[in-house]
Amino acid sequence: MKKIFIYLVSMVLFASCVDNLDDFNVDQKKASQVPPGTLFTGAVKNLTDVMTTPNVNTNNYRFYVQHWTSTQYLDEPRYNMTSRTIPQNMFQTLYRDVLMDLNDAKRLIQENDLMDPDVKDNQLAQVEMVEVYAWSILLNTFGDVPYSQALNRDISLPAYDDAATVYNDILTRLDAALDRIQLTADGFGNADVLYDSDMAMWVKFGNSLKLKLAMVLADVSPDQAQSLVEEAAPNVFTSNADNAAFPYLSNAPNNNPVSENINPLRTSREDYVPANTLVDAMNELEDPRRARYFTQYNGEYKGGRYGFTNSYSEVSHVHDDIIALDFESLLLDYVEVEFLLAEAVERGFNVGGSAAEHYNAAVTASFDYWGAPGAAAYLAKPAVNYSSASGDWKQKIGKQKWIALYNRGFDAWLEWRRLDAPTLLPPVVEGLDFTVPTRLIYPVNEQTLNGANRNAAADAIGGDQSSTKLWWDTN
Amino acid sequence: MKKVLLGLVLTVFTVVSVMAQSRTITGKVTSADEPEGIPGVNVQVQGTAVGAITDIDGSYVVEVPQGSNILVFSFVGFTTQNVSIGNRSEVNVILQADVRELSEVVITALGVERNRNELAYSAQEVQGEQITRTRTPNFVDALSGKVAGLDIRSNNTMGGSTNVIIRGYSSITGNNQALFVIDGVPVSNANNNTANQSSGRVGTDFGNAAADLNPDNIESVNVLKGAAATALYGSRAANGVIMITTKKGRKNSLNITVNSGVTWTSIDKSTFARYQKEYGAGYGDEFRTPADLGSGVGPVVRFQDDASFGPAFNPNLMVYQWDAIDPFSPNYGKMTPWVAAENDPSTFYETGLNSNQSINISGGGDETTFNLGYTRNDIKGNLPNSWIDKDQFNFNASYDASERLTVTASANYTRTAGMGRYGTGYNGRNPNQQFRQWWQTNVDLKEQEAAYWRNEQNITWNWNAANSGPIYSDNLYWTRYQNYSNDSRDNFYGFASVNYKVADWLSVMGRASFNTTEDLQEERMAIGSADVSEYTRFNRGFNETNFDLMLSFNKDISSDISFNGLLGSNLRRSRVSSIRASTNGGLVVPGLYSLSNTVSAIEPPTEIFERVGVDGIFANANFGYKEKLFLELSARQDKSTTLPEGNNTYFYPAVAANYVFTEDFTSSWLTHGKIRANYAEVGNDAPALSVFDVYDAVTGFGDKPIFSMPSTRNNNELIPERQKSIEAGVELDFFNSLFGFDVTWYRSNTINQIIPVNTSAATGYTRRFVNAGEVQNHGIEVSAFVTPIQTQDFTWTMNVNFSRNRNEVISLYGEGENKVENVPLASFQGGVSVNAAVGQPYGVLRGTDFIYFDEAKTQKVVNSSGYYMATGRSDEIIGDPNPDWIGGVNNTFSYKGFNLGFLIDIRKGGDVFSLDQWYGEGTGLYPETAGLNDKGNPVRSPVEEGGGILLPGVKEDGSPNDIYAGNYNGNGNTAFGYAANGANGTPRAMYVYDGSFVKLREVALSYSLPQSIVGDWGVVKGVDLQLIGRNLWIIHKNMKYSDPEEGLSSGNAGRGYQSGAYPAVRNYGFNVRFNF
Repeated sequence: MKKIFIYLVSMVLFASCVDNLDDFNVDQKKASQVPPGTLFTGAVKNLTDVMTTPNVNTNNYRFYVQHWTSTQYLDEPRYNMTSRTIPQNMFQTLYRDVLMDLNDAKRLIQENDLMDPDVKDNQLAQVEMVEVYAWSILLNTFGDVPYSQALNRDISLPAYDDAATVYNDILTRLDAALDRIQLTADGFGNADVLYDSDMAMWVKFGNSLKLKLAMVLADVSPDQAQSLVEEAAPNVFTSNADNAAFPYLSNAPNNNPVSENINPLRTSREDYVPANTLVDAMNELEDPRRARYFTQYNGEYKGGRYGFTNSYSEVSHVHDDIIALDFESLLLDYVEVEFLLAEAVERGFNVGGSAAEHYNAAVTASFDYWGAPGAAAYLAKPAVNYSSASGDWKQKIGKQKWIALYNRGFDAWLEWRRLDAPTLLPPVVEGLDFTVPTRLIYPVNEQTLNGANRNAAADAIGGDQSSTKLWWDTN
Repeated sequence: MKKVLLGLVLTVFTVVSVMAQSRTITGKVTSADEPEGIPGVNVQVQGTAVGAITDIDGSYVVEVPQGSNILVFSFVGFTTQNVSIGNRSEVNVILQADVRELSEVVITALGVERNRNELAYSAQEVQGEQITRTRTPNFVDALSGKVAGLDIRSNNTMGGSTNVIIRGYSSITGNNQALFVIDGVPVSNANNNTANQSSGRVGTDFGNAAADLNPDNIESVNVLKGAAATALYGSRAANGVIMITTKKGRKNSLNITVNSGVTWTSIDKSTFARYQKEYGAGYGDEFRTPADLGSGVGPVVRFQDDASFGPAFNPNLMVYQWDAIDPFSPNYGKMTPWVAAENDPSTFYETGLNSNQSINISGGGDETTFNLGYTRNDIKGNLPNSWIDKDQFNFNASYDASERLTVTASANYTRTAGMGRYGTGYNGRNPNQQFRQWWQTNVDLKEQEAAYWRNEQNITWNWNAANSGPIYSDNLYWTRYQNYSNDSRDNFYGFASVNYKVADWLSVMGRASFNTTEDLQEERMAIGSADVSEYTRFNRGFNETNFDLMLSFNKDISSDISFNGLLGSNLRRSRVSSIRASTNGGLVVPGLYSLSNTVSAIEPPTEIFERVGVDGIFANANFGYKEKLFLELSARQDKSTTLPEGNNTYFYPAVAANYVFTEDFTSSWLTHGKIRANYAEVGNDAPALSVFDVYDAVTGFGDKPIFSMPSTRNNNELIPERQKSIEAGVELDFFNSLFGFDVTWYRSNTINQIIPVNTSAATGYTRRFVNAGEVQNHGIEVSAFVTPIQTQDFTWTMNVNFSRNRNEVISLYGEGENKVENVPLASFQGGVSVNAAVGQPYGVLRGTDFIYFDEAKTQKVVNSSGYYMATGRSDEIIGDPNPDWIGGVNNTFSYKGFNLGFLIDIRKGGDVFSLDQWYGEGTGLYPETAGLNDKGNPVRSPVEEGGGILLPGVKEDGSPNDIYAGNYNGNGNTAFGYAANGANGTPRAMYVYDGSFVKLREVALSYSLPQSIVGDWGVVKGVDLQLIGRNLWIIHKNMKYSDPEEGLSSGNAGRGYQSGAYPAVRNYGFNVRFNF
């Protein structure tokens, strides 16, 4: 009996002996190793998407600069940032879907000892430049953001860093990336959607970016801005062919996010119409680009009243070309480079040419880009001509740049904050007080997920308000 | 009551006489109350499957195999007696009345039968009849209010999911649902709804798998609540176990039961929206620019405006409405009077039907028993074009191959087919999104119906600017008949087991059990809808195999000290394999729903392949001293593949003791008394695939492939999580079961939780798996019964269940500066989130709150325009969805053959944020947004004309509010909901409601035809007729237009938030049962 019992007990215990099931923990449907180029492609696409989309959950800059307004739902044109998680979506996309993927691509490249060192340098430079671009968006949107402790898997509550310090660091990183470029070697090859690994183009891109980022500092640290601008100026974009253009495709999910929100092929909604602020300004100048920017309503260009409800059927719409599924999106272009050079001349920086020449080149390039005829005649108008247009150089450049940066809401908003022109007035509603945002508030979930650090940052920048001005916004 | 029970037993069981080899024992079973004999008593030869049932006189005959010497007499309501036969051939027994329903044999973990007296933990049983009483298709819903500590939250969708929570939420982000075990076989209760569905976004509620169980096959349900009761099941049982025992055949008998029930369902209008009838379509007080749409220039309704803040109705005003655009409408090109709709959206809901036909055949021969059942269930929902069909087959049988060897097998199959399951949440497929949030009060639903059926076209009231199609909202009949989903599930579970009696004190059992489900879900968006046309298909296969080997022994140490227990091992392997794919960019051919019918190449489908293996060994020992002191020790060790190697083995013990003190202290009024206490720990593993990091594949960009870092950071240093629980209770029974109660106090702490916490996106991840956090639940449960009246013919009994759980998130993760104080579980539309916050109950709602002038938070502050001011931060705690307490009161009245039962189900507290009110008041649907103010002027008139609304509160200086707030949406200003205060909205706290309710949950009137009639019918042994009603009356609630019980889904974030809430459904009908 005892033997049987012992036998049975050991059988019971033996039955539970685990064989080797370690591979149960390995996900058989997901990769644990990937080529870094696939991460780079994805990061560039995510960056372009977030900068391009007009989706009210993420990107409302077209409203803030009054290029567009809404038909029915007024929360966003009236600057509400909390009923949807707008700042959070922006923040999350840039950190998690852009910077983290770039960061990991960089790790994979650095760990690869078998790679051609020149190609390695080029790939690292490409990653670095896109990273700098993405960081600059975060800094110019929120002010102080997590940087030195960000993207670190061991730190769950990253501290916020001083925006000015970080900004200097990314400028340094941009220089280092430019120095790395080996013109004779390949970069990411086919994975480079912007320039197909033409490293000479990346040199232009890096310098144009440097020009743009440096100019942001022009009011707050003019000397630094001057030296950086002067370093960059000789190697910037020289034509629209140099533009950093992301070529969207006609198939979802690779279609242009503008089409996703407006094109009847993708949505039945009728939420967005050109705002009267822009349309009226262009009407006044009889700007030929209107025919490329908007549709006509009753034989004229009529914008929706900014910040109030509008009948979609009774105003102009966004032009069909812009809502095309495969309409390209610009990350950086020759037009803004020329405007920056015009400004540099006005600020006394040594970049060659006159302000008027650069101004004219910018406007002409914009006409060319949009396929609008009559740039010369337009520039000859007293209200446009650099010599006769009203206001100081900031107002002249500001106004034309604001018009030229149509469909590039974030950049238009950045330049508006920087140049303080044109004048944009918030909607006037009795009993309510609106201010055009000069930054996005920190994501609401940072209050709950990273509260102490977020609170410290809010204090450091002078309050987490949408009206708080960023460190460089001194005027 | 006993008589009724006896009658029931008689109709179900037949007299059994056993013919066999060894010695024949006869006898009679009586009791003090029933000296003439008790029929239906179970007489079992201890340690064998041999037994008999006493006949109408209380007599029995049983064949006792050689070597057996103890007969076990058990019957509901009496103390089970073990009687030694000795060398007698006649054994007469007088049973002692015991606490009713607290004393019978209960099935405990792993199918072990225990006398309730021996149990040192809380377990509450519900009989099969109680479950099928109102013929609820999903038996889980029928448990509501019947078990203390069991929180059932069913949704009002047809066949929708049900939340089953025992003793509160303990896991921060993991599964909190109870484990379902049928005859010892764990079965899936998976909810395959999408993550979007459960967080209130687009989705369809496909219900959970427990709905596949056949209620007619259930003998009883035992709810094991605490860890001490469930520890032997291992980690999965940490949330409690719903143990289901199915019907079995009896030896030498044949019983056929035919059941036929039909109930009708209709919505409870007190849980649906009511509309203001003064103003129609628009966001502002204006029509579109007058135009000539056929019969002259006239005002045109603002079709695009999905709101009712428009011009006041005026029957003399002729306007072009939505049907003027429809070329097939009689009103095409015509103006019609501007009036409120005659048929409001409640007319969209139809009368539903639930037909339930079943047959059950059970019986057995000398060595065999079997039970065979088939149930057909046809459900027609309350929305057009919705139905569910279920076919349920059950079979089990056992065979005594020899005196020592018994083989048992069970096979069960359920096929469920569903059509037009309800869309939920903020979703065009959910009609309530229109009805409760975005609607025009001038739209007549019946006219919309007619407009659809004329040509089966999407003739919407919500035309786009070009009047060519819908802008936001489809015609809902189009939605129901074209954009429908369909689904099917094949669910098989069963086992085969062998029990071999090695010696009379030792037996070994081997069992292989299997559960597999195959799901198909197909969703459609037809060409012509507001959204891009699409077809989505989801296939999911799941299977789980368990191998159990168990050694049970029963060897008394002395005549006073009993000792029994078991030693066992369990191998569990489970696998989930699923694929979800959708067309891309729209459909090409209308009406063809196939992945190949896609405009662009389809995106890579989402594939999931997860395997889990857990191997456990366990042991259990029970000591009893003189049938009054009991001690139970258990332990289990598991090794799980979901944890990193090295940390994947975990051991957990349980100890439980009880003392039946009435064995020592007898009294005339205290019939039975017992105290018990236990302590248990349970370890738990991680969700599958949370150890190693992998990349997400994203649809490539043209010819360029894309991968991405995952948004969740996995963790290869996870350790098992652990729940520690302590429980104590007392059971008392007075005056021979006239009244009694069971009170339990418990506390459980779940620590080292494996949670994918949300993190700041600045870390590069939005979630990371960590081992951290502690949640505590403590509470009391009371179940009591009383028989206020008991006479010869009339009995009134009452059962009361009450439970109160207090839940607190003690800690989350991180220390010092890195301490995390809050983990959002879901972020909802409207800026409201559900959170686990340190120091708060689990699941608190956060959003903007009122600004109060006083500390006591009674005086709400309004701004200079008269609108409520909101806090700057949207992480203020504005609600707690946990109820203060829940309870049920079940009354049964019997008079002769009549039996009337009703159950009142009560929930006190539990907050709910209503997105429906938030949007619907903002769009002017509800009566609150119209009418006259205290000056006698319309609240929607401009303030300067004496209109506006005076919100109760104080101004910023603390003086009473005297500022009338404008309430017209033209410039984005209403006093209500999302549109108030310059589109910043009112404080979200304004739309948090108390979710208390008192519901008349069940009413059943049944009549059993007396034997005097049935006796003449030959084969028919009994006929029961029933009139039944369910959810007939909500006696009390605080939510104006909805059912406070309605949630989003089953799951952790599915409560405390309503969006597109479905109205409650009343159920009424009849049922007939024949016994042959």
